[in-house]
Amino acid sequence: MSLLTVKGVSKSFGKLEILKQVDLDVQPEERHVIIGPNGAGKTTLFNCITGVLPIDAGQVVMDGHDLTSLPPYQRAKHGLSRTFQKNNLFLELTVEKNVALAVLSRKGYRHNMFRPLESYSDVFEEAHQLLDEWGLLDRKDLLVNQLSYGEQRLLEILLALALKPRLLLLDEPTSGMSPAETQQTIQFIRRLPRSVALLVVEHDMDVVFAIADRITVLHHGQVFASGTPEEVKGNAQVTEIYFGGGALKDA
Amino acid sequence: MKKTALYALLLLVITLILPLFLSSYGIFLTTEIYIMAVFAMSLGLIMGYAGLVSLGHAAFFGIGAYTVAILGDYVGNTYVLLICAILLSALIAFISGYFFIRVSQFYFLMITLAFGQLLYALIWQLKPITGGADGRSVSPVLNFGWGNLLDPVHIYYVTAVLFVLVYFILRLFVHSPLGQTIKGVMENESRMKMLGYNADAYKLVAYTFSGAVAGVAGAIYAYYNVFVSPELVAWLFSGQVLVMVIVGGMGTLLGPAVGAGFFVLLQNYMSTYTERWMLIMGIIFIFFVIVGRGGLIHLVMAIWERIKPGHKRSAKKEINQSESGGIT
Repeated sequence: MSLLTVKGVSKSFGKLEILKQVDLDVQPEERHVIIGPNGAGKTTLFNCITGVLPIDAGQVVMDGHDLTSLPPYQRAKHGLSRTFQKNNLFLELTVEKNVALAVLSRKGYRHNMFRPLESYSDVFEEAHQLLDEWGLLDRKDLLVNQLSYGEQRLLEILLALALKPRLLLLDEPTSGMSPAETQQTIQFIRRLPRSVALLVVEHDMDVVFAIADRITVLHHGQVFASGTPEEVKGNAQVTEIYFGGGALKDA
Repeated sequence: MKKTALYALLLLVITLILPLFLSSYGIFLTTEIYIMAVFAMSLGLIMGYAGLVSLGHAAFFGIGAYTVAILGDYVGNTYVLLICAILLSALIAFISGYFFIRVSQFYFLMITLAFGQLLYALIWQLKPITGGADGRSVSPVLNFGWGNLLDPVHIYYVTAVLFVLVYFILRLFVHSPLGQTIKGVMENESRMKMLGYNADAYKLVAYTFSGAVAGVAGAIYAYYNVFVSPELVAWLFSGQVLVMVIVGGMGTLLGPAVGAGFFVLLQNYMSTYTERWMLIMGIIFIFFVIVGRGGLIHLVMAIWERIKPGHKRSAKKEINQSESGGIT
């Protein structure tokens, strides 16, 4: 059974149809990448899956649970976690506190109001462990806005990962990165445990082919093609219409 | 933890011995400062820790005060009256907040203002119960089980204990997982939702808690002033407490309390020289909004850092301290 099923999802802003009957699924352990030109509706699709935007028609099902009418915070409890295209962090808090807030979300005592958060050592231990694993532990006492852009981008993924999700949605994880930072991020993503399925929106074809098990091409709000990287690469229509010909051969 | 205990002890000693050095007017004034400080801290909680700026917070202060005044005609027990005042202000904060917190920023300001004025009109209209525009006297007397507390010095101690108690409860609250989560919602609501937090519910908890604290301040005020009037819920009073919070220092717990003290003192001493004391308050307010964003408390802390004997802190440590709520 697929982990995430998106069935016939449509979304319009006024008369502008952004998504038209989109069908999509993510299998357990799968790394599924969505590509498509600007304005194809990729981020809108993410917002519809995570519940930030209500959908006009269709269904979002996660592991047998219908999430369609649930608010974002409840979808998170079903194992859905996401990052943002633009960094969306707690800029005024330390790196450690950022991750701790994410870890705390899973804890039963998160509603305790008469004991300092600092006294719950397990939250900070987990946060430190995660930061250590991804090489940010020496940054833990810095404020987020003191981090480099690449480090902030990584922290963006760490916050989503701290929820221990079953499905992680990455919205352009390498946007705005230098080539070196992009290479590093590819390594990071490849290192993610297979138990976390990935749904990724990405523009950089190097990244796409480095991480994808399956690629779905979104075009004018519709699924244009879907298949393994080889199938998509070999699809003359995709190459023709989307990539403007030739581009894929270099990739 | 040791430092906190030391501060607590210091605060307690100061409040205990203060009446020895004060004139009877000074005691009366300090009592008012404690009450206003509790009220300002309640607004400071939602402004500085939940990002909710209310222009109708006097509503909850007034509900607390009128509960004691009206119910006091039938019930004499102080505990019962205080608990009723707290529960009623919390309940009304919860119900109104349920609808209000859905709107953001400017609209929240306007809708809380409207709510306060609505209550003001209601109290004005319900003359048989509330005394209408003339206000009404408060008949019950403070009594915690060891005799009637009528002496101003006794009431001073009651308000002092209330102030210290509320301060430490709020302090516990803002550092707790719940308080830190609420602060997280203020910092970045969309992210908190994605992390599985029900942002609206957390804001509502803060708003309800804040309403209850404002209510208890109002209840004690009714005992202290022995008279309540519709001005207690009017928007002018809501505006004044907003000024206290901003002048004192938003984002800290003690800042609003310092602002309350400053405001009450200025109001009392300046008004003996000129009726236009609000003009001076206005200029000070503008100064703090434009120049001294952090308010009085940060000014005091900066001076304290300079004159303090012994070690100097590095800049980095100070950043971390202020982040983790070192100045609260």
